[in-house]
Amino acid sequence: MRKPKSKNAFSWKQAAGVTMMLAFLFFALLPIIWSFILALRPENRLFEPIWESPTALTLANIGKLADSGFPKALLNSFITASVSTALAVVIGVPGGFALAKGRSSRKFLASWALLLLRMAPPVGFVIPLFILYLNIGFLDTWWGLIGAYMVLTLPLVVWSSWTSLSQIPDELIEASLLDGATMGQTLRRVVIPAARPGLVATAVLAFLLSWNDFFFALIITRSDTVTAPVAIMNFVSYASVDWGSIAIASIVLTLPTVPVIVFANKYIVQSMGGAVKG
Amino acid sequence: MTLTKLTRLASAAMATVFTVVPAYAEDLNVILFSMPYTNGLAELEADFEAATGMTANIEVVGQDVFENRITLSFTGKTGDIDVVHTPVIQVQRWIEAGWLQPVTDGVNGMDSKEDILAGPLDAYLVNGDYWALPFFAETGMMAYRKDVLAAAGYDSPPGTWAELVEVAKAVHSDDVAGFAMRAAPGQGFNMFVFPMIMRAYGGKFFADYPNDLTPALNSPETLEALNLYIDLINNYGPPGAGNFNFSEVAASSQAGKLAMLVDGTSIAAQSIDPGKSQVAEHMAIAPVPEGPNGRSPAIAVHGIGIPADAPNPEASFKFIEWATSEETLTKIALAQPYPDFTRASVAANPEVIAKYESINPDFLNVRVDMLNDAIGHYRPLLPQWPELGAAIGEHINAAVNGLETPEEALAAAQDEMAEILAE
Amino acid sequence: MNQISGVQPVLQRSYRLMLLPAVIAVLVFAVLPLVGMFVLSFTGFDLVKGWDTGFTFDNFTKLASDKRFINSVWVMLALSVFGVIAQVIAGTLIAVGLEKIIPRWRHVRGFFVVPFVVPHVAVALVWLSLFTPTLSPINAFFDLFGITIPAFLTTRWGAISAIVIADTWASFPFVMLLILAALQGISTDLDEAASIDGATKMQVFWRITLPLLKPALLMVALFRFIETIKHFPLIYVMTNGGPGRATQATNYYAFIQTFQNSKVSYGAAIAVFLFIFAAIISFWVARMNARLSDA
Repeated sequence: MRKPKSKNAFSWKQAAGVTMMLAFLFFALLPIIWSFILALRPENRLFEPIWESPTALTLANIGKLADSGFPKALLNSFITASVSTALAVVIGVPGGFALAKGRSSRKFLASWALLLLRMAPPVGFVIPLFILYLNIGFLDTWWGLIGAYMVLTLPLVVWSSWTSLSQIPDELIEASLLDGATMGQTLRRVVIPAARPGLVATAVLAFLLSWNDFFFALIITRSDTVTAPVAIMNFVSYASVDWGSIAIASIVLTLPTVPVIVFANKYIVQSMGGAVKG
Repeated sequence: MTLTKLTRLASAAMATVFTVVPAYAEDLNVILFSMPYTNGLAELEADFEAATGMTANIEVVGQDVFENRITLSFTGKTGDIDVVHTPVIQVQRWIEAGWLQPVTDGVNGMDSKEDILAGPLDAYLVNGDYWALPFFAETGMMAYRKDVLAAAGYDSPPGTWAELVEVAKAVHSDDVAGFAMRAAPGQGFNMFVFPMIMRAYGGKFFADYPNDLTPALNSPETLEALNLYIDLINNYGPPGAGNFNFSEVAASSQAGKLAMLVDGTSIAAQSIDPGKSQVAEHMAIAPVPEGPNGRSPAIAVHGIGIPADAPNPEASFKFIEWATSEETLTKIALAQPYPDFTRASVAANPEVIAKYESINPDFLNVRVDMLNDAIGHYRPLLPQWPELGAAIGEHINAAVNGLETPEEALAAAQDEMAEILAE
Repeated sequence: MNQISGVQPVLQRSYRLMLLPAVIAVLVFAVLPLVGMFVLSFTGFDLVKGWDTGFTFDNFTKLASDKRFINSVWVMLALSVFGVIAQVIAGTLIAVGLEKIIPRWRHVRGFFVVPFVVPHVAVALVWLSLFTPTLSPINAFFDLFGITIPAFLTTRWGAISAIVIADTWASFPFVMLLILAALQGISTDLDEAASIDGATKMQVFWRITLPLLKPALLMVALFRFIETIKHFPLIYVMTNGGPGRATQATNYYAFIQTFQNSKVSYGAAIAVFLFIFAAIISFWVARMNARLSDA
């Protein structure tokens, strides 16, 4: 009798755990499902409970979105977030590596500065940035936005790569250098592959940080380089909020990042597989 | 001080950048914020080219996006805006800052000046000059459910605020709330609607606007009005009404969960629109209720003006004239939900009348009556108003949601008014 | 070690070269505007009234007596502290759950990341509709059973909770991802050894996994804290700072002064306060981090 009882107790806990996970899943998905409903409902049924008229759906909002400036804004978002992430990785990972492995008495200062830059309130320095951009002709340009996004992404990338690269054993680097590789080669061929999952996760976070930005884009873009989060605010107009368009725009804005999620997940799953085997 | 130089340097640098492109001088950059009229106008770019031979690049952005960018663009003297959306509520502030140029000569030279509604046009008459031409004049209105009121034995809508409370009480139920009005804090949110009650009860912002700008908000009249407003929202409003903005007011009505609302014409129009409302066939329109001190419908006027640094004011004015012409306004009134036009001739246009009468037979008449009742300085026309309105609105909202007592809220708001004005 | 000591000076130089581009980028795009912010905070610049040049302390003396500002600091702390606690708990539970409870549901993981990529403006709008009782499907659902959900956005703590919930929704995936990564760094040998010794899963979690996660938890909490003091779209869209001023956090207040009231210099002074606040917090964290890595 004893054995089945302990098994029962175990599965009861398991059931509680699964229930908790399902509850979290529901929490995570409810607003997404709600967005899909808002996106597909005709205007006069927007806020009627879906179970009262489950078939009253329309694709009209998609056409409306395609005709608006949103596709262009989506492209702007994608370009600026990708380029600023790529630049932050190219510039920031060697920097993080240098901080992780180099000898310096100023490392504490560097870590403080990096954290501080991540914390600095954009409201304060967006206006000086605006004045600076006005001078150098960077307003409403991709480069201007990419530069502003470097403020967000670079400290993150340097900090994270510093953390993850310091876990690389010194011996690995020394061995590579002793084999006659240059520092750059060592970084590319030895260090980065060894720290790949962490770096990929960092890049994804950096991308999302730029992708999510509302404030910088609000101030330093105009019609040419407006990004998607700002373009979404264009659906909030005088005396009306275009819920359907906002919902469909959010969904469209989320779709291109799904490959990113899958990719990042692959790395997480991959390294998890390694851990399980080990 | 170095930054002063920097900004000067910046303007000089930008000036050179923009003088390089005179070849496109006839290509006008127009920036507007999104509302039915501006969306309609953006679709008529080709008409403008056909009418004048010039081309216009009409950019329509969200209101928040517009407001946060525009002052920076003005300050930076980017010089790339030829025509700008000019809400009356901002005009004094923009004039004080030197951001607008007058259009007086152009307006006086127009053949059809008389056709423009005098109230909205005069709202742009500051210091003896016109600063914009109006395209939009929104006023206050009541929209209500005939069926719900009838079921409670009311054949006609309430005529006074006191009656409105009584009707709201009688019809309020779990399914259909008695009444809703904007309550979210903001110069354009609760402070767009609350003065309708405040003024009806004899409350005022200043001792004697515009001669004596001593704050006079903290009065028994305003307190009475505030108590009525709080009573309406908290006792007869839908759940959560204390945070409602225009969009929640409109959506509640459209979902059939609201018996009565008082808001701007653009919200009332949405609540009776069959394309948006599930209960459109039951909806009716009525005037804003009266109080002991009469009726004071809200008013909001929008127009288009010319930035001070616009390189080609003549071309800019041609655009403004075209955009507010009878022909253009009529086209947009027919194509968009835009009953807030500012020309008498458009109101007399049979097609326009037919369109809005088919939605609601009283709509246009009530609108004209309300426009006539509205006072120009419903929200005081002062450069500091956006800041004043925001501060007052926050205290009014705090009182509605029980964070402050009504007495505290009015006293605190009055103190802050004095502080802001003293600066 | 001795073998390569001869190349150390060269090595150090190449390390310095590797750091240089990052330093230059930070100087141009971050430090320069930050210097501008400091300069602005000591002048009188009003977008409408123009420049009042000359050095002044007025903005800071005004700050000290500004009740709205002091209120905003409390609001900021409430939003940040409660937000970080909620996000760290939710993110950690989900990460641990994904690893330990439902390790085989790999495809589920993607669903948990989705909220993270929804732009905050959209997050705010969607949660605004979910928190508006007449429009919310949650309220409509519970109404079916005669249960009335209270209105969140009309009370001080309700509005703060609403923002915390929306922020938690948008940010728990960040916590989850980092904790997942940290969990993978923890050897499963320990777990196995412990369970062979007869420890229950719960005991393993509390006694082994959690202590090992501590550095990661601290780090992730810190990163979230940094983000939460910069709260903007959620407040802007969901509450407008209301009810009253109950959700006017400092960053939002700086925005109001700068953009709505055109008082750029005063806004900059508030930003400078935030910056100094951030400097203190990050100094403390950097020191903690240095100790952690020394240990």
